Amino acid sequence: MESVQPKAAAAATVSRKRQGSGLLRRMAKRYDLYLMLLLPIAWYLIFNYGPLYGLQIAFKNFNPGKGIAGSEWVGFEHFQRFFESYYFKRLLWNTLSINLFSLLIAFPVPILLALIVNELRSKSFGKWLQNITFIPHFMSVVVIVGILSVFLSPSTGPVNKLIEWLGGEPVRFMESVGWFKTIFISSNIWQNMGWQSIIYIAALSGVNPQLYEAAKMDGASRLRRIWHVSLPGIVPVIVILLILDIGHFMDVGFEKILLMQNNLNLETSDVISTFVYTTGILKGEYSYTAAIGLFNSLINLTLLLLVNRFARKTAETSLW
Amino acid sequence: MRKNWKSYAIGTMVASSLALAGCSSNSGASGGAEPAASTSSAVKASGFPIVDQPIKLKMFTRTAPVNGPFKDMPVFQEYEKMSNVQVEFTEAPTDGFQEKKNLLFASNELPDALYRSGLSQLEATRYGAAGQLIPLENLIDQYAPNLKQLMDQYPEIRAGITTPEGHIYAIPGIVTLDAARTDKKWINQAWLKKLNLKMPETTDDLYNVLVAFRDQDPNGNGKKDELPMTARAPVAGQGLPILAMMSGSFGLDLQFGYNINLENDKVNIWMGNDRNKEMLMYLNKLYKEKLLDPEMFSQKEADYLAKQGSGNTGFFFDQTNNNFLSIQDQYTGIAPLKGPHGDQLQSQGAPVARDFGAFAITSVNKYPEVTMRWIDYFYSDEGSTLLRFGREGENYEVKDGIPYYTKAFIDSGNQSKLTPYAGGGAPHLISEKVASFINPPQVQEAQKKLDPFMPKVRYAAPMFDEATAQKVNILRNDLDKYYEEQSTKFIAGALSFDKWDEFQATLKKLKIDELQQIYQDAYDKMKK
Repeated sequence: MESVQPKAAAAATVSRKRQGSGLLRRMAKRYDLYLMLLLPIAWYLIFNYGPLYGLQIAFKNFNPGKGIAGSEWVGFEHFQRFFESYYFKRLLWNTLSINLFSLLIAFPVPILLALIVNELRSKSFGKWLQNITFIPHFMSVVVIVGILSVFLSPSTGPVNKLIEWLGGEPVRFMESVGWFKTIFISSNIWQNMGWQSIIYIAALSGVNPQLYEAAKMDGASRLRRIWHVSLPGIVPVIVILLILDIGHFMDVGFEKILLMQNNLNLETSDVISTFVYTTGILKGEYSYTAAIGLFNSLINLTLLLLVNRFARKTAETSLW
Repeated sequence: MRKNWKSYAIGTMVASSLALAGCSSNSGASGGAEPAASTSSAVKASGFPIVDQPIKLKMFTRTAPVNGPFKDMPVFQEYEKMSNVQVEFTEAPTDGFQEKKNLLFASNELPDALYRSGLSQLEATRYGAAGQLIPLENLIDQYAPNLKQLMDQYPEIRAGITTPEGHIYAIPGIVTLDAARTDKKWINQAWLKKLNLKMPETTDDLYNVLVAFRDQDPNGNGKKDELPMTARAPVAGQGLPILAMMSGSFGLDLQFGYNINLENDKVNIWMGNDRNKEMLMYLNKLYKEKLLDPEMFSQKEADYLAKQGSGNTGFFFDQTNNNFLSIQDQYTGIAPLKGPHGDQLQSQGAPVARDFGAFAITSVNKYPEVTMRWIDYFYSDEGSTLLRFGREGENYEVKDGIPYYTKAFIDSGNQSKLTPYAGGGAPHLISEKVASFINPPQVQEAQKKLDPFMPKVRYAAPMFDEATAQKVNILRNDLDKYYEEQSTKFIAGALSFDKWDEFQATLKKLKIDELQQIYQDAYDKMKK
């Protein structure tokens, strides 16, 4: 999320106008700005493009003693192994479904929250609400998962105590196939909605107040004003954030899933990134998991391209 | 969902370290051969110091949560003075150790040696074949008299650590003390006495005893808060501890460090057997009736140890009584339980070379001979005493020729901070002579109950050649994951036993037969 805002802003400026003559002359004139650009470019080259070189091990039998260049090529063997693996379907489905549900359920929540904060008459209550929803964002994932297991513990957790008090049987939330996705996504919402709503609140404050007044004059109700003024005002931001989200479609919250995983919920909690970690890093199968990682990234890229095109056609907003 | 810096970080780390490895690969790979020739003159053939001029070695090591910094340990301080070898340890905590170790190899930024490194057979073969670890067999012959003697005395050690090509890439922790190679079965005798029950001898007895523990309030507080039975939580890829502890009662052995029975020279991987089904059904019955700890599959190690010390647990498994010393009289060790078909076997247990891959020397090491002599000392009685007990007088005293911790030192609670063996896996010899702490009378007695039921030979996991090892790895990755997950579900009742046929069919689909054949071939080769 941190990186999303500057990216979004940059994207907006870039898309305005690109072509021009005498580029070099203008660059010379503003050389100090371009110098400042060097650092981020170097960062991207070293940390984002440099490692691309290592990707070739997905097509090799990587042997650390021989190095990347010295290892022998094996073509698509590792990909084939993954596609034929017993776990392929499950990993793909879990990764896709967790993301899909997150997108459907978690994406609209911060928008709703922003609209509510925007509509509140009492500014101090709005600030209070923002702060309350904001705080969980700053807790570490380890703490969050700890809180979850304490609250959902079948013997001592308050949630199960409540269920028992209401006459139900305690539920083993953390060790159940059926509950994993629900817990994962809803705790994500709880953790992130405040933080993610900031950008919408900022966008809402940029909507021209005259539009609201005009709507009021025309007798629009509060809901109508939200529907016809507020929402259209932030649609470009929504679309851009949506596209950015889809770009990360296959990277689920790796750490949190890993911490929440156990043998009993593996059927729904096993995702590509945790599989890559457990087989690749812990068992040293670099080539195999590089292939899986590459496959993961390819899906990401394809989805990003598709959604961007779709958004450009329908909402007339897009990343490029 | 947008926040996943860690996976990025790891990905970038791996990728960039790989990129670095690519650049530096030439220097790394060629470094393997030369050092042996260049510096052999520096080392003395026997006696101390090992070298006249002090030298420095960098070693990578794992630290257990109970350990303090290695440089504060008396053994390394004393040994540095004795040997003139100064060791600088890079310490990685047990959590995340595997990750750091693999990155070390992947990036080819190697230390001189890996101490307490927990290398697996596959890792030793893989990194040995890649030239990152150097072969040790000749060094052992020339510079490791203590280790060599142990290997002659217990031939299975050499068989268990030598690759089919005849190389030894890693040396193990050696445990000649039976009691240190298997968990005991501890039962709460105070509760048995209070409820007037006799010691359970069969699995059915155990069931009845556990029911009594659950229902008849043995701790006498009027509440049904007793925990009849618990076990360690599973670690992914290493099997379910509860199965290892109970399988002997159902005629299921654990040879070759895997779910394997050996009958008439036939290797039998028993995961799809009916006996295994019976065991899982038995455990499922215990679990369903709340006799088995419901937190067993998710608890942390610390939780498990706390349950041992609470005195409120009826039946559990551990190697020693360290964790419940203060209430040790409440517990006693029992023999393996006789199963429905009369089987009574202590199936869980390690070979004499208990900790495979405890120590290895890398290709960047300029003094392999010195390093080998350095580590060899710990395979002697004197060296292992220094390692486990520290300084005489200050940390231990000798009674009847056997070292014991001084009472003051034990009471100080510093014992596990000052020895690298606490936390397991250190490369050294554990024998009767240095085992006073892990083998107190109560543990010896518990071991005696198990002795008649230990298998005659315990085969360590076989060493495969690199290609076969890779194949075994691929097969076991999927199979073990599947077996662990499904067993957990069968026990917890999340999967019905109606699905047993499907379970067997999937095992077949995951090529369990092929794996069995590979182990059979390895066994046949070993027998010849």
